[in-house]
Parts: sequence; structure tokens; C-alpha cells
Amino acid sequence: MINVFSRNRPLALLASVIVAQILLLAFQVKRDRDVRLIRVWAVAIMSPVERSGTWGFSSIGGVWHGYIDLRNARKENQQLRDELGRLQLRNRELESQADEAQRLKVLLNFRDTHTEAQMLAAQVIGASADPTSHTLFINRGSRDRLRNNMAVVTPDGIVGKLVEVFPNTAQVLLINDKESGVGALFAESRTHGVLKGSGDPMPLMDYVVNDEKFKPGDSILTSGDDRIFPKGLLIGKVTDTKQALPFQIIHVQPAARLDRLEDVLILLSQQQLEPKGSADKLIPPPQPEPFTPLASAAASSKSSVSAAGPTSASLPKPAASSAVKPAAPTSAPRKPAEKPQAARPGAPR
Amino acid sequence: MSYLLSIRDRAEGNIEVHKYYSGTVVLTAFLALLFQAFLHRYGRWAELLDLPLLVTIYFGVSKRNPVSGLFLGALIGILQDALSHDSPIGLYGIAKTLVGYLSSSVGGKIDTEHPVSRFGLVFLLFHFHQFALAITERVLLNQPERFFTPRLLLDSLVTAAFGMFLFALLDRLRRPS
Repeated sequence: MINVFSRNRPLALLASVIVAQILLLAFQVKRDRDVRLIRVWAVAIMSPVERSGTWGFSSIGGVWHGYIDLRNARKENQQLRDELGRLQLRNRELESQADEAQRLKVLLNFRDTHTEAQMLAAQVIGASADPTSHTLFINRGSRDRLRNNMAVVTPDGIVGKLVEVFPNTAQVLLINDKESGVGALFAESRTHGVLKGSGDPMPLMDYVVNDEKFKPGDSILTSGDDRIFPKGLLIGKVTDTKQALPFQIIHVQPAARLDRLEDVLILLSQQQLEPKGSADKLIPPPQPEPFTPLASAAASSKSSVSAAGPTSASLPKPAASSAVKPAAPTSAPRKPAEKPQAARPGAPR
Repeated sequence: MSYLLSIRDRAEGNIEVHKYYSGTVVLTAFLALLFQAFLHRYGRWAELLDLPLLVTIYFGVSKRNPVSGLFLGALIGILQDALSHDSPIGLYGIAKTLVGYLSSSVGGKIDTEHPVSRFGLVFLLFHFHQFALAITERVLLNQPERFFTPRLLLDSLVTAAFGMFLFALLDRLRRPS
């Protein structure tokens, strides 16, 4: 090697001098972006080496950390799984609390909006063990001034009434229970009838003669005839109608989600609630009454249509008990009750 | 240093090596650079001549030592770069280093005493010098320097012609053997 270098010493010196001058030039010359050429060369030479080094070290580190240094991985994995489980549980709790807060907010808004009536919020704590019975238990009782036959509602629609009151709990008979009956009327035509539970999720609107025509989606409100629910509260909407004898079979979809109730409001009086704008679902604004020649006759017969009992069995049958002709009570629109139901003697408080 | 002396002795043993009075090479190179810079002030005709190149070729050919030839070329080229305000140090240095090495390498192989051979040698080395210069500028400076133009041909002819007279003049500075 030394001999080769000695034999070619002039050439080696020439190369050295040329390289030295090239480096000298590179120190002075600037390329794009005012970077010295020597720096460009240095970066060009060093970058691949650095990249290779970085890649090599990261590969070695990856192999080490990913395959060799796994002493605590199993333990750490178990800890993370436990932590994940705890966090998922906590997340569900928070979601549940958020849902509850949202429901309570709706109830509170509704109660604050209707200050004209006394209300008490309650939580549903249980349901009937009998699958054919549609009843609920709430966490309020006689110690909270609850009495039988008080109306139970939600901001979406009516729910039912209290049938048994205990010191700390009360039982609610839902409107779709077969023992339930609610004085009702169609919002548009003001035709009266009785909403009866059938034991199915959807109750029926009974005592409506076949001459009356209704379409799915028509709203049904409380009429106040039962002296339990104030007049004008939303019950639900017609889903389908069928001609039958002696009365139509009208299925009604309750506005309140009776199968998913968690929080309800108990009306402590039968004070009529006033509609508070379009956002108020429970109390729709009053419909303009259609003019019919029989309106006055129906009005005159109003007093003869009594509503004395809380159940369907004790509710008046409008067609049968009407003083006018049998078809008149359901076909003729009625005027709203003129006197507050709570003022009537014997009205439930 | 001992290596340089050994090469010098070996060269002297085989081929004829001309010797000069001390300081002649340095003084001649200095004067060539001085005149080159001085003549530039009196018109573009001075650009026809490359006096430092002629001095590099002459002493490379005369001393016939590649090592001393390349160092002399490097020294003259770097000084020429230093005297010009716009060319980076090393541009002419690289070209003249190669010319010094090449001229001293071929000096012992061809007749360099005859005026015609001197004319041809200077003409060829001028274009080799220009080639090295263009390569350096293209590669390092990223500037499109031309390898050959008619003007360069004229320059090379003038420089080669002037070189015949200059070389004859410089021959008088040789120390008698």
C-alpha cells in the first residue's frame, strides 16, 4: 500500500491539491437559499448516514421494546384492562346521570312554565308484576300529600292516575290498562268519547259513532269530564280507525312513552293548565271550533253528560247517557267546561 | 522535502533539467500576475493574453518536475484568484494546478525547445486550462461557462504566439550548466 502510494506520489499530491482547492471553493460558493456549498455537500454526505443510523437505532429499539423488553407487559396489560373497565363503568354512570339531568330539566321547565297548577315530581321505582296489568309505582305517597285519583302526566302527555297511595309510594294506573278510562275529545272536531285501556300498549277511543270520520294523526285531548285530568291535556294521536257496531274502533298511540317512564309529574289539583306556546307538547293551543247547527244543542246537553267515576266502568257513556239523540253526543262538538273541575263538589284533590 | 529532492535528482539523472537563478521563478510569477492585472486597466485587448498561464507552462516544462509544476500552478492560480474580485479562490488554482502538472509531465517527453512545438504546446494547454476552468465553474459554481468560442480560439492563438517570444526571453534567465 505504501509502495503504491510512493510510486504514484505525484498523482496523489495532485489529487490532494485539487481536493484542497475544491474544498476551498466550496467554503466560498453559495448555492440556493444562500447556503454554502460545503454545507450542502456535508449534509448530502451525512444525511444518508444519519438516516441509516436513525433507522438502525430505531429498529434495534423497536425490536428491544417490542419483543425483548416485555417483562411488565402482561401486568401492565391487565392494569390497563382493569382501568378500561372502570372507565367504561364510570362513563355509563355519567351518561345515565346526564340523561336523568336532561329528563329532570324538562320536568322542571314544564313545572316552572305552568305555575298556575301545583305539581309534584316523582320517580318511577317499579312496575306491576302482572304482565296484563299496566301499573307503576312511584316514590311519592301520602306523606307528600298524594291522594287517590290524582292525575299523573309528563311534558309529552298524560300517563295515568293514582289508584293506591301508601305513605311513601303510590301506584299509578296507566291509561292503557284495561281498567283505565279517561274522558277524551278530538282536538279538531271536539267529538267526545272515552279513552279506554285494552290491555295492549295502545288504548282505544270508545263511544264514537261511525258517522264521525277521523284520520291517523288526529290529536286526542282530555275533556275534563272524568274530573281527574284537567281539560285540554294531550293524550295521543289516532293511529287507525275501523268501522264496527255500535261504535268505531279507534286505536290511539299515547303521547307519553308509557313503556319508558322514569320521571313523572303528579297534578295536585285539577286546575286547568294553560297552553304556553308551540313548544308545550302536553297542552296544545285550542283549535277553532267548527260551526255546526247542532253545537247549541250539544252545549245544552253538556250538563246531562256527567263524569263521575275514575274508571272506565264508572265513566259516563256519552252516547248512551246523552239527553239528545244517540248520535248527537259524539257528532256534535262540545264547548269547553265552563267551571273549573276542582270547584265541583266531590272532585278529587 | 526529501522526496521532492529525490524526484529532482532522479529527473536530473534521466532528462535535461534547466536551472534558474534563485528567485527567478518567484519573481517571474509575481511580474506575470502584476502585468496581467496592470494591463487589464488599459483595455480589453489585454484579455487576449494569459501571462500567468504562460509562466506556469514555461517553468513546468523547463523544470520537468510534476510536483513542483503542480505547486507552482496552484500558487499562481490562487494568487490570480485573489487578485480578481469576482472569482472565488481556487477557480484558477485548480485549472493551473492541472496545467502545471501536465506541462511538467509532458516536458520530458517532447521537444519543448523548438518554437513551433512551444506554440502548439501552449495552444493545447490553453484549451485544456479553459476546459478545466469550464468544468469547475459548471460543477461547483453552477454557471454555464463555455468550453469553446471563437474568442477563445483567438485568445489561444495570441497567447501561444506571445508565448514563443516570452519563452525565448525567459530562456535567457537560465543558469548555465
